[in-house]
Amino acid sequence: MTKRLVQGNEAVLLGAIRAGASYFAGYPISPSSEILAQASQYAVGHPEFRFLQAEDEIASVNAIMGGSLAGAKSFTATSGPGFSLMQEAIGYGHKIGIPAVVVNVMRVGPATGMPTMPGQGDLNQSRYGSTGDYTSFVFYPSTVAECYEYTIHAFNAAEESRSPVVILSDAFLGHLNEVVDLDEIKVPVVERTIPPLASGGTRLFSGVATYPDGEPATADSDEYIRQYEEMREMRRKVAQRYAFHEFGWNKESDTLVIAFGITRRVAQPLAPHFALFRPIRIWPTLDEELGAIAPRYKKIIVIEGSDGQYANVVERMLLRRVERVPLLGGRMSLEAIREGLDKIGMLPKGSSTAAEAPAKGVKAPAKGVKAPAKGVKAPAKPRPKAPARADAKASAVG
Amino acid sequence: MAIKDKLKTDLFPTIWCPGCGIGLIMQQLASVMDDVGLDKDNTVLVTGIGCTGRMGAYMNFESVYTLHGRTLPVAEAIKMVRPELNVIVVSGDGDLASIGGNHLIHSIRRNPNITVLCNNNEIYGLTGGQTGPTTPQGTTTLSSPAGAAYSPINLQGLVNTNPNAFYAKTTVYHQGPMRKAIKEAIEWPGFSFIDIASQCIENNGRRIGFASAYEMLEHYKTEYKPGPRDATRLEPHQLGIVRGEPVTVAGAAPSGSGTVE
Repeated sequence: MTKRLVQGNEAVLLGAIRAGASYFAGYPISPSSEILAQASQYAVGHPEFRFLQAEDEIASVNAIMGGSLAGAKSFTATSGPGFSLMQEAIGYGHKIGIPAVVVNVMRVGPATGMPTMPGQGDLNQSRYGSTGDYTSFVFYPSTVAECYEYTIHAFNAAEESRSPVVILSDAFLGHLNEVVDLDEIKVPVVERTIPPLASGGTRLFSGVATYPDGEPATADSDEYIRQYEEMREMRRKVAQRYAFHEFGWNKESDTLVIAFGITRRVAQPLAPHFALFRPIRIWPTLDEELGAIAPRYKKIIVIEGSDGQYANVVERMLLRRVERVPLLGGRMSLEAIREGLDKIGMLPKGSSTAAEAPAKGVKAPAKGVKAPAKGVKAPAKPRPKAPARADAKASAVG
Repeated sequence: MAIKDKLKTDLFPTIWCPGCGIGLIMQQLASVMDDVGLDKDNTVLVTGIGCTGRMGAYMNFESVYTLHGRTLPVAEAIKMVRPELNVIVVSGDGDLASIGGNHLIHSIRRNPNITVLCNNNEIYGLTGGQTGPTTPQGTTTLSSPAGAAYSPINLQGLVNTNPNAFYAKTTVYHQGPMRKAIKEAIEWPGFSFIDIASQCIENNGRRIGFASAYEMLEHYKTEYKPGPRDATRLEPHQLGIVRGEPVTVAGAAPSGSGTVE
């Protein structure tokens, strides 16, 4: 209907509402907190939308499991450390088959790390964070409009795969404002796939391995394998309907860049020089889709905000070496990408920082700050001198 | 009224050890359900990890067997999404008060209209008999060979940090008081917690000098005495109910402002 400025985090919330979500539980953590705050605001005017600010992320994620079983499409939003705390319950959701959505707005880890800086280091955790074997669905949008669109897809995939689906975002994307008309984005909504609790049955929703009648199957390998393979096959089939990716830029180039989420945005000025493959569905991996185009390219470069998490995945998918441009410590900038490309001898000839405009939506460097010449590392910023601590002085004397 | 209708008797005998106290709790819960109008269409059981958690599998109700310690957030969410349902949590002292302790204090604070039955056997029974949060100081257990070092957690004190909450203390020997407590708790408008002393003969009782489950029940019989009516605080080994000031609980409270108006 109308175009307006929408923030990435807000678009996720609006996508969830569009998908029919009616229960949110969460705990404040940067850079995801806007989702919590705006969910609470939405709840005030919409009593059918239930909201809980829980005591921690463990409560939040377990609450959305309960909320979903009770009949509400349910979701939570968090970031790095909170996402770590949620892993056990995500495994619980996979074991039982509970549709839910977990939004992880990535910052730089591990631990408390760099709470306001963007990271892409939770890819492995979003796939392997819980114990045992299970099939994760993980989507990672690149624009504010996509935050809305893929949140709806995430809820749909959660229903169809009967599992907690993860939406990855990052500190830049979550806080990015873009002018969009969300009403123009049409995604069909999948209805609930499991009957809500107290539907007259006597079902047992158990994290413990059990037979269908509820008796423990904790020492029956055959029963475990039967249930596991049935679940894996079902989710594999569902995944075929969600093979989201982008293939573009200069397809005639002999080099393929792989970038996703915010990194793809930052790398946009390289479009004339490289072909681009962007996985939007991070997990399950897009083996067929990437496998079909990769042989056309002599070189593959993975640009990502971690030290090779996705590059390792690509090497495993294609069984060939790839080049790596890791953007670490939240330094997600075109300059950092150029430095990385230069380090591996892949900086395109004739491309210079001055000649290319920054990608849409990516902050231009502050006025007066000169971009470093290509290949030249910016000198480390001098740290402000800390005043001598009184106790340090005292101990020096003592 | 038929208790058997409430139980999946085809799964009997239960997994619990001979002499275990949990079955006595399940029996009383099943027996009051008709009295308070609980059936398959309006009731959900939420159970935690530990021996007690198996109860959900044996009852003819829809049941959620949660992760260790996570009964309360799951139960609260179910109640918030479906305020018309009766949500009953059945779990052990270790699950509720140790690994789930943070949820316990915050559930007490939020005062959701749910009922918690705590099978308090003062031990981690399922894992073989380690010290739990309710183990009396000095008790010899698998993980406290020189006696439990710390005093047990004060469940009554925790529950009563909310002046609107309901706390009852009973034992599996005292079936009448337990029945009364369960009935009242289910009808209580807000958070209700029943602390039920219960014997674990296999992984605790024998180690601390009891020859049989019968001896443990005899111990409850002689040690526990009724507390005063309308008590505001129960002494150790007193049976009774501490009722807070009941408040109207709004299951569909304005979201963002908690669950109580």
